[in-house]
Amino acid sequence: MPPKSYTDVSDQQVVVFAQEGREDAYRELIKRYERPVFSLIYRMVRDNETAEDLAQETFIKVLNNIDRYRPEFKFSSWLFKIANNITIDHLRRRHVDTISIEGSPDAVTAERARATAVTITSGGESPLEELESRELGAEIEKAIAKLRPEYRACIILRHVEDYSYDEIAEIVKLPLGTVKTYIHRARQELREYLGDLR
Amino acid sequence: MIEHDFPEDFVPIAAELQRLPYLSPSRDFADNVIARIDRLHPARDAYPVVASRHLELHQGGRQAVTPRRRMGVVRGTARAVVGVGLIAAAAFMFFEVDLLTAILSAGVTQYAFVLGSLGAQVGAMVLGPETLAYLQAGAVEAVLLYLTLAVGLFGGYAAIRTAAHIAQRKAA
Repeated sequence: MPPKSYTDVSDQQVVVFAQEGREDAYRELIKRYERPVFSLIYRMVRDNETAEDLAQETFIKVLNNIDRYRPEFKFSSWLFKIANNITIDHLRRRHVDTISIEGSPDAVTAERARATAVTITSGGESPLEELESRELGAEIEKAIAKLRPEYRACIILRHVEDYSYDEIAEIVKLPLGTVKTYIHRARQELREYLGDLR
Repeated sequence: MIEHDFPEDFVPIAAELQRLPYLSPSRDFADNVIARIDRLHPARDAYPVVASRHLELHQGGRQAVTPRRRMGVVRGTARAVVGVGLIAAAAFMFFEVDLLTAILSAGVTQYAFVLGSLGAQVGAMVLGPETLAYLQAGAVEAVLLYLTLAVGLFGGYAAIRTAAHIAQRKAA
């Protein structure tokens, strides 16, 4: 019997309801993960429309293949794995290794480039703290954008999504040692980029 | 919270990374996705969109298998027939390999033990010794023709697949 609300229902259980063809279960999975997935993809491609398209593609692939989900794995790991694959494929197709901090490589006009340049807002602090936080947040976004896509995915999954090294290795389909190296180098590069701000 | 496995000077950056806000897609994001979930729209299944052949769902599921196309066998047979026809025609035109002779020779060779004695008798009566000698001489040509057909078919198919793959990648 499906619940009236999915608030306290685990991902695995929601997936079971989705496998039964319940639209509300599909919507619940989208609701839970649309922002994390969109954020990960956006921080890798730095273009709103592209990120939206790739995020949609991710959910469509995952949800159309929901019967193939194996509950011994975290649903979110599976989702991020598909998102990462789709995004890396997109970046490779476009031959983009690094992303300009001035705007997305998908931007075709100066206006579009300005629109896709990194801006970040935050809240809940005093004006000065907010200003500093916004500045540091924006700089971190810019610094992330300078990293190689593989580093970007690893560092975001590690520090934003709190995944373990093992889980990240599974998600990005790389050996554990490679993931550790990527994260180590990403941290080094972030330290270099952000050296003056700390 | 993840365990602390980085140098002290990275702590403030790690803290800021954890404070990075989630970004939101458009409001109709969920509707757009739901509209393209096949199971929720069974009427569309009659005209399924061909899934990517490169789905990688190892972790959450088994390897995604692209559904077989309904017309696969017919299309394959048609391609094979056309391919064989072209190669046979080319073999005849450029190398003067007589297809009829080759087929008859192959048949004769395949059932040599049975047909050998019968063929010799019947052939001698009906076709005459000259025709028989002609058929026997075509056996080597038949082997060459079969080899050519096999290599041509597999090679041609592989080339078409490779070209299509490259074209698809370039188009994407």
